[in-house]
Amino acid sequence: MKRRVILIVLTVIAMTVFVLAGCTTEKAKPSTKLQVVTTLFPLYDFARTIGGERAEVTMLLPPGMEPHSFEPKPNDIIRVSKAGLFIFTNRYMEPWAGSILKGIERKQLQVVDAGQGIAYMKAAAEDEHDHDHGDHHDDNHAGGMDPHIWLDFGNAALMADNIQAGFAAADPANATYYRANAATLKVRLTELDQRYRAGLQECATRTFLHGGHFTFGYLARRYGLEYRSLSGVSSESEPSAARMAAMVRQIRSSGVQYLFAEELLSPRLSETLAGETGVAVLKLHGAHNLGRDDFQQGTGFIGLMDQNLANLQKGLACRVK
Amino acid sequence: MSGEVVRTEQLGCCYREGCVLEDISFTVNAGDYVGIVGPNGSGKSTLVQALLGLVAISSGSARLFGSRCDGFNQWGRVGYLPQSLHLLNPIFPATVAETVGLGLLSLKRFPRRITRQDREKVDATLDTLGIYDIRAKLIGELSGGQQQRVLLARAMVNDPELLILDEPTAALDPETRERFYRMIAEINRSRGVTVLLVTHDTGVIGQHATRMLYLDKRMLFFGSFDDFCHSPEMSALFGEHSQHLMCHRH
Amino acid sequence: MDILEILSYGFIQRALLAGVLIAVLCSVLGVFLVLRRLSLIGDGLAHVTFGSTAIALAFKIYSAASLLVSLPVVLLASLGILRLTEKARLSGDAAIGIVSAVGIAAGIILASVGGGYNVDLLSYLFGNILSITREEVLIAAGLFCVVMLLLGLFFNDLLAITFNEELARVSGVQTRLISSVLVMLTALSVVLAMKLVGIMLISSLLILPAVSALQLARSFKACIGLAALQGCCSVVAGIFVSFITNLPTSAMIVLINLLFFGCACSLRRLLTPGNSN
Repeated sequence: MKRRVILIVLTVIAMTVFVLAGCTTEKAKPSTKLQVVTTLFPLYDFARTIGGERAEVTMLLPPGMEPHSFEPKPNDIIRVSKAGLFIFTNRYMEPWAGSILKGIERKQLQVVDAGQGIAYMKAAAEDEHDHDHGDHHDDNHAGGMDPHIWLDFGNAALMADNIQAGFAAADPANATYYRANAATLKVRLTELDQRYRAGLQECATRTFLHGGHFTFGYLARRYGLEYRSLSGVSSESEPSAARMAAMVRQIRSSGVQYLFAEELLSPRLSETLAGETGVAVLKLHGAHNLGRDDFQQGTGFIGLMDQNLANLQKGLACRVK
Repeated sequence: MSGEVVRTEQLGCCYREGCVLEDISFTVNAGDYVGIVGPNGSGKSTLVQALLGLVAISSGSARLFGSRCDGFNQWGRVGYLPQSLHLLNPIFPATVAETVGLGLLSLKRFPRRITRQDREKVDATLDTLGIYDIRAKLIGELSGGQQQRVLLARAMVNDPELLILDEPTAALDPETRERFYRMIAEINRSRGVTVLLVTHDTGVIGQHATRMLYLDKRMLFFGSFDDFCHSPEMSALFGEHSQHLMCHRH
Repeated sequence: MDILEILSYGFIQRALLAGVLIAVLCSVLGVFLVLRRLSLIGDGLAHVTFGSTAIALAFKIYSAASLLVSLPVVLLASLGILRLTEKARLSGDAAIGIVSAVGIAAGIILASVGGGYNVDLLSYLFGNILSITREEVLIAAGLFCVVMLLLGLFFNDLLAITFNEELARVSGVQTRLISSVLVMLTALSVVLAMKLVGIMLISSLLILPAVSALQLARSFKACIGLAALQGCCSVVAGIFVSFITNLPTSAMIVLINLLFFGCACSLRRLLTPGNSN
């Protein structure tokens, strides 16, 4: 009995030491660079570009995690409180951002709402095809606005401006440097926008069906596509049998050859729909977050969007120039 | 049937908290009816549980039908009625017949199925114990006395050579109790079933049992009821007056 | 919308088929588990599956192959729950609580150590009754056959240990073996069925049909039968109601089970007026 108690005590001590050792190595090297914490991948990528080598940018979301299942942990709050600049997408995407900030002394911390000044789209009711009442708000995010603003590249440019302003405020000494980087980023976003406009001009179909949650509303609107998703704007909502059947009818009646699927979530439902209707599944990246491998390879937002364009052109049978 | 049914040698059950039983040596022959008596906490239940391999033996040995209790597997020869009736889950949805049928599993090998013959045997046992008319009732709906009889039927349905009953009359009123003892005595006499019966009704059991085992952590007495009544150790223990009352109730 | 049209969709046919098989399976196992006070074992083992899937994903093993990691881990965890109840004299709920907390903790630690994943763990962990593939219907059928066969072979042994473990031992039942068989069958069903229909459905199908049947059954066999019947009906009704009301299917099946439970309780009251106190 005594021996067992001693063993338990030793194990607990060993584990504590181990954990403490792990903590101390993490905070070993202090940096003089501007510390920037971002939430989702598009912000991380934009901030990385704008900050260049004069800022250290990190992302709160662990790679691979769908942002809808994310909840900040104590350590995340500590990371934010130690940063000089915190950037989040908008209050519809990260309703928890406000509550994190409430608990933090905000003297040195600059906070950027990247969605400031952007005209939000109402989150479309997922099943307006079946019920034309338009008052379905059951699966909506807080406020019923579509938070995926970065998928309209005009909005993305505005977000870049907001982020750049944040950098300049947090680190005025390097403001010109940041402004120059932001300008380059915006040029690349404009070029991306032009590639999309040209690439999606002549397509066999403009119906863009998606077996995931409502993500690509902004993108569809910008390029004149008709977008339908299986689920509502939150990835947690579960479709009903009727919604699945309606989607099957939609795929059949629109005559599309491809169904688009989410990038990080399990594609089971999309595969079921595709199997039912005999169409193929194509991945489309909402860029909320990256998988670990992509993240480690340093994949960028614009590269992802170019992949998406290629898949969209394939899926909608567009003429490639 | 003859020979040794139970044999213990210096049996001891000692645990971290101390000893419950120490140095118990006795032999029960086929056809004996042994009343195991003693005060509360004297280790009566532990003794029968040790014989059945339900609690660990720390020293000495115990044998049932010649084989060691810890590896005993001839369960078809044994019937057991436990004390812990109240542990039965009152919402358990088994009928009386289903419950009694479980007693037949000891006669079977994998896969243990209940056949039509088995059901007939269950019905016959229920009939013998006078509870055939409640065979379709759920055991949770029965009175304490009825439950006791159902469990007795369960213990007897496999025609055991040894019947071990732990405080079988605790939930019964005096009249039913008397009838119950007569029934056990009848089973012992007519079928030659060896009976070990744990109780604290020393006086009542004395009327029926052929042997008495008086236990208080150690075995203080083992012998016939007559000897029990005339044993000077027992009179020293109880006082002569109590001993007299116990031995001459009728 | 008429029934023939609903039935014309392949995914509905597969949902009905696999759903009914899994429902019967869970309901029957549930009767034993509820009576042994292990009702929450479904949730507990699901958490362990979460932990073990985290191990699999950390080694970049996805979907089907991750089962090869989860299955042994969850089987061991189920035996662990059993040993905790025996050795440490814990009640079933406490033992399940310990194992389930450890499972989640392991998953979370592995997730932080591994620096994230390539996919969202939770979405891969839990299936949806509407997205069952043809192969998965076969898996469900295979699982159904294995569990039912073993339940059939050990039925009386299981009944005996569920009734009273001491008595079962004295009837020559190898109680440890049989208890292990029960929890391992449960573990197998939870791991496989969770991938097919999601954990909410599994854990509710382990409990609700069993507790309703306990209200009404007049024998143990009837209890098993009633539970299986409710499980079966709830899935069929749930799928159709979900179709008509346009509400999520799994949640609808759970609600219909609750409705059945309510009916069973009131019916019991009506049938035994003397016992209502």
